[in-house]
Amino acid sequence: MSDLGKVRLRLPSSIKAGDVVRVRCLVIHPMERIERDRAGTIVDKKYRYIDRVTVTYLGKTVASFDTTQSVSENPIFAFTFTATGPGPLAVTFHDTHGATYEGRAEVRLG
Amino acid sequence: MAQRRGLTRRAVLGVLGTAGVTAAAGVTLAPRAAGAQALGRNEPVEAALRRLFGGRAMQDGSALIKLGIPQIAENGASVPVSVEVDAPMTPESYVRHIYLVADKNRIPIVARATLTPDSGQAYVAANIRLGETGDVRAVVEQSDGTLLQVRRAVTVTVGGCGG
Repeated sequence: MSDLGKVRLRLPSSIKAGDVVRVRCLVIHPMERIERDRAGTIVDKKYRYIDRVTVTYLGKTVASFDTTQSVSENPIFAFTFTATGPGPLAVTFHDTHGATYEGRAEVRLG
Repeated sequence: MAQRRGLTRRAVLGVLGTAGVTAAAGVTLAPRAAGAQALGRNEPVEAALRRLFGGRAMQDGSALIKLGIPQIAENGASVPVSVEVDAPMTPESYVRHIYLVADKNRIPIVARATLTPDSGQAYVAANIRLGETGDVRAVVEQSDGTLLQVRRAVTVTVGGCGG
């Protein structure tokens, strides 16, 4: 669990102004699934999973995801954004226990 | 008198409308919107679709939506899904939401992506869980409210949902 919350972003090596850029991101997270007891009843507890992912580029939200427990453990998400200038791209993951994990990349045009 | 009342009502509605738009904008900015909590529920897929879309008609989106998912998923714990919509992404007309739905999962709504014209293209991908063999669908909601859907049957060798 020591890797919990580790985020990796993958961008193309070369980005030109105006490109629609595809980004893949990965976060290490258990995404706890529903548990049942012997009788088959759902264990009532606060399951820990990521329920919100936001993507900001140059400080503006370009895309977001609302997610449920039907998303895999160590989830991978991909999305696109239009590269209009150099600056930060940040992906923030929020889980149901209140933790947030962030991955950042510096977009350079060239 | 009747006319005056009509005008007042309109003015009130106008103000409410603006407030609604502001609230909606707030949701995209506020990272933890209340709606996110209610997205995933243990319910049949029909109930989930009714809850999210009411009785709104869904058109067949197979001409526009490319749903990429393996026909046979050996491991249901992690199945790669991608959705690409052949639609413009301009402030006038864009793809606002892409929903991923796994019909047979106990929590059928997998994810809802919210896009903006700045996304540049309506494309999202994710790794999802599939509990058992069944349909996976992508439901696309455009900025004018049009709903499009495609579905693909996926055979799951080992289910990955547990619970």
